Amino acid sequence: MIHLQHVTYYYPETHAPVLNNLNLDIADGEFVLLVGPSGCGKSTLLRCLNGLVPHFYGGKLQGQIEVAGFDPTAQEPRGMSSVVGFVFQDPETQFVVDTVESELVFAMENANLPQPLMRKRVEEVLDQLGIAHLRQRRISTLSGGEKQRVTIAAILTLQPRIIVLDEPTSQLDPQAAEEVLTILQKLNSDLGMTVVLSEHRLERVVQYVDRMLYLPGAGKALVSGTPQQVLPQLPWAPPLVDLGRRLGWHPLPLTIKEARKHLADLPAARAPHSTVPAPIQMAVTIDINNLWYAYNGHPALKGVSFQARQGEIIALMGRNGSGKSTLLKQLVGLLQPQRGQVLVAGLDTRQVDADAIIKQVGYVPQNPNSLLFAETVDEEIAFTRHNHHLSDHDDGPLLDSLQLGEFRQRYPRDLSVGERQRVALAAILAAEPQIILLDEPTRGLDYAQKELLSAFLRREKSVGHTVILATHDVELAAVAADRVIILGDGEVVVDGPTRAVMTQSMVFSSQINKLLHDDRFLTVSDILRDAP
Amino acid sequence: MKQHPLAWVAWVCGAAVCSLLTRNPLYQVILTLSAWLVLVVAGGSSPLSGGWMGVVRLGALIWVITIPFNALMLHQGNTVLFSLPANWPLVGGNITLEAVIYGASAGLAIWVLLLLFSALNTAMDASELIRLAPPVFYQAGIITSIGLTFVPQMVKSSQEIREAQRVRGHHFRSWRDLLPLVIPLLTTSLERAMELAESMEARGFGGETNDLSTRRRLYLSLLILLGLGLLLTGAALGLWLQQGAWWTGMILICAVGCLAYAFTALAQHSKRSHYSRRRWTWNDTLISAGSLAALSVMIVVRVTDNLALTYYPFPPNALLPAFNPWVGLALVLYALPGLVSILREPFSRPEPMREPEAEP
Repeated sequence: MIHLQHVTYYYPETHAPVLNNLNLDIADGEFVLLVGPSGCGKSTLLRCLNGLVPHFYGGKLQGQIEVAGFDPTAQEPRGMSSVVGFVFQDPETQFVVDTVESELVFAMENANLPQPLMRKRVEEVLDQLGIAHLRQRRISTLSGGEKQRVTIAAILTLQPRIIVLDEPTSQLDPQAAEEVLTILQKLNSDLGMTVVLSEHRLERVVQYVDRMLYLPGAGKALVSGTPQQVLPQLPWAPPLVDLGRRLGWHPLPLTIKEARKHLADLPAARAPHSTVPAPIQMAVTIDINNLWYAYNGHPALKGVSFQARQGEIIALMGRNGSGKSTLLKQLVGLLQPQRGQVLVAGLDTRQVDADAIIKQVGYVPQNPNSLLFAETVDEEIAFTRHNHHLSDHDDGPLLDSLQLGEFRQRYPRDLSVGERQRVALAAILAAEPQIILLDEPTRGLDYAQKELLSAFLRREKSVGHTVILATHDVELAAVAADRVIILGDGEVVVDGPTRAVMTQSMVFSSQINKLLHDDRFLTVSDILRDAP
Repeated sequence: MKQHPLAWVAWVCGAAVCSLLTRNPLYQVILTLSAWLVLVVAGGSSPLSGGWMGVVRLGALIWVITIPFNALMLHQGNTVLFSLPANWPLVGGNITLEAVIYGASAGLAIWVLLLLFSALNTAMDASELIRLAPPVFYQAGIITSIGLTFVPQMVKSSQEIREAQRVRGHHFRSWRDLLPLVIPLLTTSLERAMELAESMEARGFGGETNDLSTRRRLYLSLLILLGLGLLLTGAALGLWLQQGAWWTGMILICAVGCLAYAFTALAQHSKRSHYSRRRWTWNDTLISAGSLAALSVMIVVRVTDNLALTYYPFPPNALLPAFNPWVGLALVLYALPGLVSILREPFSRPEPMREPEAEP
């Protein structure tokens, strides 16, 4: 179905190829997962399959590409649109019109399909993807998962033989990601469509795929094989696979069910309970008491109360719309309580100026692009310090601690997603806040970048800073958080130590904890540490 | 409201032209009430009502502001309400009832137009209307559609950026302080535009025009260029010469001819189908016929008596506007979409709007 031979590609005005002498064959009906570190060329490779590379990006392409019998470089993307359906990373930016039904017919109208056929296909895809109820809705009122399902429906109306998806779940919460992946699995198994997907969060998807492709980048050769063959060769892996690799399990488990077969071989599972040391009570830095807030009459927070202390890392979890971002905005003074009280570093957010609060609190929004504007990373740091009337000083140690030292003179928006996230973090930390709030800090990050973030959180904890992170990433929460607060419909549903909360939860639980159901084990290192 | 988009086009065009034909506040009030009824009925049953009520409120605010503005700037009229010292620049002098009424009537004319277009956008999806455009205007329609989709995204982005910079201690003191707000907004918008363009390309935007030979394509492109050049020249000469010379008119006719031929030829080669689930109903006929009838009455009245629809409250004219019951009755026809909807579904409750799942 897909055949690439000796493919080499250079982006315009670059001398190093992103893809170097790449050879690849994908059979009809295969479900293929493409993995690799940020910047390795995954997106470029996917865009070769429908001709966006080189037609949209320019540059120099060498070698032969054949997709379903067509040459994408000759057909151009619009010619390939009925053969290859392409889903992009951000569901926000791929809609052309503003209602669901109009979006579904957009491609069919461009393909000049007759009206009766369009009617038939619209009805089919609405049923196939279970989105008939969304038909008349405006795109802007849909959730992230619904948007991505509409995108997939829109490309399915042309009945392509291949679906290519570039990190389609990176902007979604776990439930929405699950919905999208389930649909892909159904399309692959029921309709025999070929699916080629790139994804960072392997734990979400690895169990669905027939084959994995690992693109190491830097001109190294592509590694191809079944997940069990490729996973041992990756420099990183999801927790379950990581555990299997470290303990020499064979075959490597891809699901909790598969891993359970090895439980008997796990010495830690039989080890006696270790006593967890009681936490030392540090000073309270955040005190929220019966906080209520509503947007235009729609309640977002309903009687939220909790305290946070120095040196504590709290993971704020819950579905989209549960009130996490609203709560963070309350803590930094962007919003003020309509009822109740919020005390931050002893300051009542209703009584003091926002400037007094932001001296104590640093808030990193979901999208780092919202705050990056300067020509260099150094200037971003200087801008924050200037605003806070702090003296200029060497920002080297701060940048080095976030592994940004080499990018000091680079234009921040030219950096990768993970690097931009760290620059945004540095720009906020430059004000030397005692309390740090992070909104979805792992969105779009690969495993290596997430490890850097975990290291940063550990450092902040060690110097006594309070960190609150709103996240869907249970693995990060398992590694870094002391405490988990789960919000549901604007209320605190659960508030407790991470180990206790995760062990009692079916959804907000790490892979290792799901495997062992034991509050001593949240991460791979917990098991290895306790193993005799 | 489930009227056909073409019926809505007939309604909005008729009502807008009527509104522009008259300054008489009595007729404007009838049009306002008709449009308001349509807006309220449409808003109750449409998931599209969204931000259009905000536009209507903004329009009302502008209207209210125009009244004192007019009163302070125009000092004609016999009915003096009070006087400001004559040595006050611009605003000094008599403040008259005539100026207040004239300002109110002028502001109302603008607000009626806003109401009409808000009602239209609430009642139907703009992309349905765009889809009705002839193939030659398809690309322009898509650009309009993208613009409509982009605006809410831009508003959301600017809010995020403002908040993000605020928590970095940013304050707006001079124009230089705009940069941290404007640059992220511009770059984010440009990045979005590029991503959207890529998405459209991947989904086959551009249609199939492959049967057009390179030579023919070049010929038509040159013809469009020539037409635009002639149009510009004709318009410039017309403005410069003031008095229209016959050959200026000829240039403009040639320009329109070139453009019409080129676009029609391109449209014939552009293979693109149209999707619509709407069927033309008796109600659509009723609304369209009513709208056209009302417009015809207005035009006939205007042609037979040039001053019948005008209103100028300053002396020597009467302060009270004239009223022709036939015109008033004709304008009530613009309430038809609302009345038809109420009669068809008298007790229908609007479908509950589902709230966006993402946090505001």
